[in-house]
Amino acid sequence: MSAAPRRPGPGFLRGAWIVAAKDLRIEWRTLETLSAMVLFSLIVLVVFNFAFDLTTVRQVGAARLVPGVLWVTFSFSGIVGFARSFAIERHRDSLSALILAPVDRSVLFAGKTLANLATVAALEAFILPLSAVFFDYDLLSLFGPLVLVVLLHTVGLSELGTLFAAVAARVGRGEALLATLLFPVASPLFISAVKCTAAVLDGKPLSAVSSWMLMTAGFDVLYFLVAILTFEYILED
Amino acid sequence: MGDVPILEARRLTKRFGALTALDALDFDVLRGESLAVFGPNGAGKTTLTRILTTSLRMSSGSLRIDGRDPRTHEIETKRILGLISHQTFLYDDLSARENLIFFARLHGLDDPSGRAEALLDSVRLLDRADDPARTFSRGMQQRLALARCLIHDPRIVFLDEPFTGLDPYAAALLRATLERLRHEGRTLFLVTHNLAEGLELSDRWMILAGGRIRAQGASADADRLAFERSYFEHVGGSPPGGART
Amino acid sequence: MKGGKEILTVVLLAVTAVLMLGAIYMVFVYAPEERVMGPVQRIFYFHVPSAIVTFSSVMVLLVASVGYLSTRRAFWDNLSRAATEIGLLFCTVVLVTGPIWAKSAWGVWWTWEARLTTTLVLWLILAACLMVRGYAENRDQGARLAAVLGVVAALDVPIVYKSVDWWRGQHPVVFGPGKKEPLAPEMLRTFLFCLLVFFLLYALLLVLRTRVATLEDRARSLSETLGGR
Repeated sequence: MSAAPRRPGPGFLRGAWIVAAKDLRIEWRTLETLSAMVLFSLIVLVVFNFAFDLTTVRQVGAARLVPGVLWVTFSFSGIVGFARSFAIERHRDSLSALILAPVDRSVLFAGKTLANLATVAALEAFILPLSAVFFDYDLLSLFGPLVLVVLLHTVGLSELGTLFAAVAARVGRGEALLATLLFPVASPLFISAVKCTAAVLDGKPLSAVSSWMLMTAGFDVLYFLVAILTFEYILED
Repeated sequence: MGDVPILEARRLTKRFGALTALDALDFDVLRGESLAVFGPNGAGKTTLTRILTTSLRMSSGSLRIDGRDPRTHEIETKRILGLISHQTFLYDDLSARENLIFFARLHGLDDPSGRAEALLDSVRLLDRADDPARTFSRGMQQRLALARCLIHDPRIVFLDEPFTGLDPYAAALLRATLERLRHEGRTLFLVTHNLAEGLELSDRWMILAGGRIRAQGASADADRLAFERSYFEHVGGSPPGGART
Repeated sequence: MKGGKEILTVVLLAVTAVLMLGAIYMVFVYAPEERVMGPVQRIFYFHVPSAIVTFSSVMVLLVASVGYLSTRRAFWDNLSRAATEIGLLFCTVVLVTGPIWAKSAWGVWWTWEARLTTTLVLWLILAACLMVRGYAENRDQGARLAAVLGVVAALDVPIVYKSVDWWRGQHPVVFGPGKKEPLAPEMLRTFLFCLLVFFLLYALLLVLRTRVATLEDRARSLSETLGGR
């Protein structure tokens, strides 16, 4: 039993994939996070429909209302998921074992972010058609550009969400601190997300919001790099 | 055994802000040796273990593990370390096998499932391999944790209060496994406040209190009563400073 | 700790106090009244320097955070804490003086106008950085997490600024290409003087706050030594 060959650890991408696959396997098995997120977003959607009366919705039109509703829903339920992704590591302190693995700590960030991105994307795949029904807009004709816009902004949301969830988990706080950290810092992302989503719903081409899309792409890249560089300090005991 | 140190700490100091948790510790652990570290709660034992396993930075001093500075060779160092604590570090919703395969992959091992199979066999969990870890008793969880710790064949195994919460059978099994690890020539670093267990499983002992090494000696010629007297003298004689806040 | 530094601090305090009186004189007596807005325009002399100081404080925060993460010296952490707190203070000044001016200029206390929104977001970010320190289990952890947030926050500020600017803008442009008529020379002089005084005030507060944090460290360490051994 003492004959395991000594190898270098897995590389960055492979390591991140191993961590993400583990998280997704747990999620697939229990569906705890996703079911909590789905239920929560349903509640948010319903509350929004209480908040706006029907005449307002008809007057203002879907394109003005839906972007805000969607992104509030995505980000609030995202927070539920981000917080839980570190709660499973705290339960038996498995984070300590992850830290001991012969991989750079940024690998853990990339893996967690990937799993969170997949979870939030799964939620969005459920909520988008539902919102089309609730708010009566034609999803099919807008499908391509809308998916692109949603994914581009979800990447940045997942990065910041994962980074701040790690911070919140480190000081033993959950969603409340995560929300306090995430919303102000992610405000450029929200502004851009709402602008781009509104443009798509208005039937404009994506080129009309190309500067927003570029800014968000830059935001995604910047915070990926920042998180890669700073994650080890968060995980330090 | 040999007389080559695998772990050398020189003036190892850890401060949390104004508080000195570990105060200029000097010690070696020899290759293949088993060192038991005793001390009361808040003596700095867990802090020391965290520093030696690279998850916490020391404030000053120097540390060499297997001849390397763990700060500049973190990945290489982590490859030869294993850690067991009273927490299992496992995922409740994964099966025993999936847990081990995950950690084997994360360590970049060649044949994760083969390796997991071999370890499940060695801790006698093969018949429960595909049950989720949450259904395991405390003792079985600790055996699985042991398998997780040994998955990458570490040369130094750190044990931080491994006997906490184990029933007598599970404790006996863990003792037997640790004896086997010693015979295989692995270095053990055992942190405990259980004097009898620690002395039995070690070649050498060290008493840590208030962030300092108060006494040390060889376990074989330790007269149990004299050792215990000296333990309480050192531990009782110093107020519980050095606690982590 | 003592000697030269003490004297320098006292000199800085005295100079700031005297110049502050001078600034108040210039704002209320020397500078001419603006024709359209009347006396309320004089808020500009406090509002804009506070805003500039706030944004500079974010730069100090960035430098101090990077400094702490790379050296782990308590000084950098104390500086970053001081920059966060005092930045928050000046940010509050901006957020209070802005609406007072807006009420008479635009007829509303608050609009979701670009710079105002940016400043509010910045205030929230700085407050969040302070919150994490309060939650931390120990001094080291608080310092480390706050430093990470400091880096993230400081890099975020220009992005927030730019995105909110694109989003909407109706803030008066006093300097730069959008301005039709130049500022009266007395006004410009008053403004520059106020800017200088606010920077001196900022430097003074930063030095004092950093010093207090260092003394707090020492007091804690002394009480540990006396109580713990």
